[in-house]
Amino acid sequence: MSDLDRATQLEFIMDHYQNPRNRGEMADADVHVEGGHPGCSDLITMYLKFDGDRVSNVSYIGEGCTISQASVSALTEQLKGMTIQELEGLDHEFISDLIGEEIVQTRPRCATLGLDVLHASIKAYRKKQILGG
Amino acid sequence: MTAYAYPERLVETEWVAQRLNNVDVRIIESDEDYLLYETGHIPGAVKVDWFTTLQDKVRRDFLSKTEFEELASSLGISNSTTVVFYGDKNNWFACYAFWLFEYYGHKDLKIMNGGRAKWEREDRPYVKEVPSFQRAIYRALEPDQSIRAFRDQVMDQVQAGLPLVDVRSPKEYTGELIHMPNYPQEGAQRGGHIPGAVSIPWSKAINEADNTFKTAEDLRVLYTGKGITPDREIIAYCRIGERSSHTWFVLKYMLGYPKVKNYDGSWTEWGNLVNVPIEKEAPVEKGIPA
Repeated sequence: MSDLDRATQLEFIMDHYQNPRNRGEMADADVHVEGGHPGCSDLITMYLKFDGDRVSNVSYIGEGCTISQASVSALTEQLKGMTIQELEGLDHEFISDLIGEEIVQTRPRCATLGLDVLHASIKAYRKKQILGG
Repeated sequence: MTAYAYPERLVETEWVAQRLNNVDVRIIESDEDYLLYETGHIPGAVKVDWFTTLQDKVRRDFLSKTEFEELASSLGISNSTTVVFYGDKNNWFACYAFWLFEYYGHKDLKIMNGGRAKWEREDRPYVKEVPSFQRAIYRALEPDQSIRAFRDQVMDQVQAGLPLVDVRSPKEYTGELIHMPNYPQEGAQRGGHIPGAVSIPWSKAINEADNTFKTAEDLRVLYTGKGITPDREIIAYCRIGERSSHTWFVLKYMLGYPKVKNYDGSWTEWGNLVNVPIEKEAPVEKGIPA
């Protein structure tokens, strides 16, 4: 990666960290799940609302390092309109494309926390649907 | 009030503020949060990242002696430079970097009391400019193995009944917590602690109000009250060796304990080893409160 590319990537992450998108609780969410790391206090609670099979709204609250918080902010910008199946297909490569491979390799746990909480949220939502909750 | 054993190892924020342009002093930020330095740092400070800067790229180990010499030289650090570390999380990784610099024999090392949190609370300035310094010539010493423990030494310590300090959170100590909910890949195969280890979370050494180290008296009570006394050989550990380097710093330099090692393999090694003993309950200690 060139210095310019890296600078652009850092600028993108700093922007999301300092101006988070979709941050806040959601009172009418269909599902919300909390996740985090022991030891380094990265915490995220993600809220999802669905319209049929598609995400109609998404938000999160959380605290922690620049990468975990910027990554989840950037992730939530991508989710509206996606189907549950598409959400389940999102992987670490998706996060690498979103915030940069170098950052993900440097702090993989922080960078993918939002994605992991998203996947946990989908599982919880599916379970809720099966149980009719 | 009893002074710290080596008070020169700890400097206050004001001490640092008065030396921002001192060419004989190099200020190093070392954080858990990889990009915190980029959001703003103490003027003139350079960044040393515990993972990308200080670790070997392939093996689980630190920089080699040659690589460490290159790092120090590139940061304009000579063997006589005063190096001051600070960082987030009450100087976790600042102490980790301090420990590694001592491992390679650097003499004049200091920690900025209170770290980033105190600097910010005092409304002191941050900048985003990354400084560059004229390259220096650095000659490292052979690694000082007296401050580092490997797993075989830890096993010897267990079998000899010598003290170990588990500085993780109480739930990690009892094995209740290997990972947080919804994040199962974090942690080790097994939960618990190394047999005989006493639980003294690293954060007990810090004043919550201002992120500074507690007084020497309070620290002495904290550690001696659990059988961690200066006459014994002590090994501290946590999950990857960063929190325990904080405790190593406290025991060695705040309290003056002469024989303290940091087990950097820590629980991510011990909790994944095959056929090693693990305890989950607090050890029954003779006359020592749990």
